[in-house]
Amino acid sequence: MTTSAETVVVPARTKTAAVSAPVRHKQGFQHGGWFVAPFLALFTLFVIWPLLRGVYLSLTDANITGAGESFIGLDNYREALKDPLMWDALGHSAYFTLLVVPCITVLALLLAMLAHHIERGKWLWRLCFFAPFLLPSTVAGNLWQWLFNPGTGMINHVFGGDTPWLTDTSYAMLAIVVETLWWTVGFSFLLYLAALQSIPGHLYEAAKLDGANAWHRMVHITLPMLRNITGLVVALQILASLQVFDQAVVMMDFGPGPENATRTFVQYTLEEGFTSYRVGYASAISIIFFVIIAAVALARMWLLRNREEAAR
Amino acid sequence: MGRPDLSRRQLLGGLGGLFVAGSFGFAALGTGADALASTADTRVRYWNLFSGGDGYNMIAMLDAFRAAHPDIAVKDSTLQWGNPFYTKLAMAAAGDRAPDLGVMHMGRVTGFAPGRLLDAWDVGLLAKYGVRREDFNPVLWQRGVIDGRLYALPLDIHVQLCFYRKDVLKKAGLLGDDARMVTVTSTDEWFDVLKEARKATRKGLQTLGLHANDQNFQWWFFVAFYTQLGGTWFDDARTEVTFDTDKATRVLEFLRRHVTHGYAVAGAADAEQFINGAPFTWEGNWSVPVFSGAKLDYGAVPLPPVFGREATHAESHTFVLPHQPDRGGATNEAAHRLAAHVVTHARQWAAGGHIPAHTPTLSTPAYKKLYPQNEYVSAMNHQATEPKVWFAGSTGILAQRVGPVVVSATMGSAKPDAAARRMKSELTTLLAMKNPMDGRTAAQGGAVA
Repeated sequence: MTTSAETVVVPARTKTAAVSAPVRHKQGFQHGGWFVAPFLALFTLFVIWPLLRGVYLSLTDANITGAGESFIGLDNYREALKDPLMWDALGHSAYFTLLVVPCITVLALLLAMLAHHIERGKWLWRLCFFAPFLLPSTVAGNLWQWLFNPGTGMINHVFGGDTPWLTDTSYAMLAIVVETLWWTVGFSFLLYLAALQSIPGHLYEAAKLDGANAWHRMVHITLPMLRNITGLVVALQILASLQVFDQAVVMMDFGPGPENATRTFVQYTLEEGFTSYRVGYASAISIIFFVIIAAVALARMWLLRNREEAAR
Repeated sequence: MGRPDLSRRQLLGGLGGLFVAGSFGFAALGTGADALASTADTRVRYWNLFSGGDGYNMIAMLDAFRAAHPDIAVKDSTLQWGNPFYTKLAMAAAGDRAPDLGVMHMGRVTGFAPGRLLDAWDVGLLAKYGVRREDFNPVLWQRGVIDGRLYALPLDIHVQLCFYRKDVLKKAGLLGDDARMVTVTSTDEWFDVLKEARKATRKGLQTLGLHANDQNFQWWFFVAFYTQLGGTWFDDARTEVTFDTDKATRVLEFLRRHVTHGYAVAGAADAEQFINGAPFTWEGNWSVPVFSGAKLDYGAVPLPPVFGREATHAESHTFVLPHQPDRGGATNEAAHRLAAHVVTHARQWAAGGHIPAHTPTLSTPAYKKLYPQNEYVSAMNHQATEPKVWFAGSTGILAQRVGPVVVSATMGSAKPDAAARRMKSELTTLLAMKNPMDGRTAAQGGAVA
């Protein structure tokens, strides 16, 4: 049975490949264009065009109605550079990123290692670590708002004291970081788990034969083999954390937190555009933010390329 | 197994066809349903922001109007409260897709480009349907008048109240013979009341729900007490900030003292603790249905006049006519008729805790019987409101900029005098800022009474 099936299939495949290869190439080119066209159209409509429109609006004093806008050159950018609220908001987003990225990377790796090595109830661990990621941000935010409540919240109850987690400038951002770690670590955890599972077992066997202990195996096999995925996790987390918004506003009841301490850049942009109706100004600060994020992404690519070249 | 390409194509084609047919079907169903629902000649599209108990009351009032006026079909839409609502309303008006009738907070009307995004009311037409200027509190009516024309027809005022539990206050000896809370006329008296009330309060509950870390509530309380002190914001020409930092400091110190003396717990669930037995909470009058529904023995008075003069924070729901290039005719008349009907039949609305703006409603025996509404109806006569400038009003820029500063003082992360100075500097910045709707600063004109 198996033999006859192989004899039928293999020549057939070879024949198709050999005979129709040039034709396919031509067709593939045409079809490829058509297949990409819907994406290109949507990408142009929803990304390129809004971006260009945003750049234009940032040079105007447009309001939300779109009526009566006039070209004001770089005035919005000049104002933005002198706007303390914008710098504060940028500082808060950066501070959040600095706290979240290292914590989430280490935590995701530790959880992945745990889930990878545990034999009994493996599925339960994976589910526990990943499940919070499936919650909508409003649910996660409200949940942690209750947990951090100074009077009735579980955190003060368990750890004692009456720390004003959400209402004091020193703790508010930390509370949002803790919520974010719990809520989003599942995604990076999953990436790490997949990467761990793809490390060939014979490497560990060989190392064991050579007398390497568990620590050596981790430092010399696991971590180097995970280098690429770590780079990915860090990059994705930096980009996501810089754009922090929903969990912060939900936990702070849609306000900017104590003394504006948790107002993030995205939140400030939204406020300027949709509360103050200053669409031109909101566009200018989003372009500034776009440039910052693009610079971070490019810097990461450049560092990575340099490292790869150095490794060669 | 045999025809994967063919079947995939058929499948995709079939699904696409179904989708297109479905869309047409739904579209047809939509128009069909609308057409079937009403045989009326005139259709009024009405946008509001009332959800919860307010939404329930508004729907009941609309149904009453429909029953009384079968010739007018009311198509009402309830949208998300706050900035999303105002954004949508502005964009609809700018894009010539405005509804025939809308609701706004009075404080936001000045900044909403009256004359461009809003059309003025036809006062003669309103009078025809029973709405006359003399039936309203003159100060309230005047707030809706911009450049001499009425842009906002007030439906109610909603105010911040001091809710008190009669059972707890009785135990504390703070209930008068009339079963009402003892009168308070100074800050010292107020803190004495809190001290006594605390002794009668169950352990684990705060004495006063103050929303200490909520920027909106703190700002509203600030407006109330600052007005009690006779504080002002700007000069008449709106070229100078007249904000009095000494008075502001006194108010901020007063609010702060509740937290430092442990009467209010920051972040506590205020209304919930009240239901569970806390003696006081400062809440909006919209909490009346909640507390009445919980069958509490409670009363509600305006915020205590601790600085010697009655004043409590008030905002007002108003009817507006979003701008339509061709406003007029039967639909416009029907919009006037609907607004007039709701305003003059606001007894139902008062059940939700709001104080009807239409004064004849206030003097009806039915309203006078409503409790605790009749205990705080006097708030109509001493409203503390935000200044009449384009950046003020419910959840507007002023509240957004200054609210967090008040919170920082109440919570103790900023000293009251420093916070007062910051408030003044924010006010100075805002006064110089251009109104994005018309490109003018407050001093350069804009909406004026």
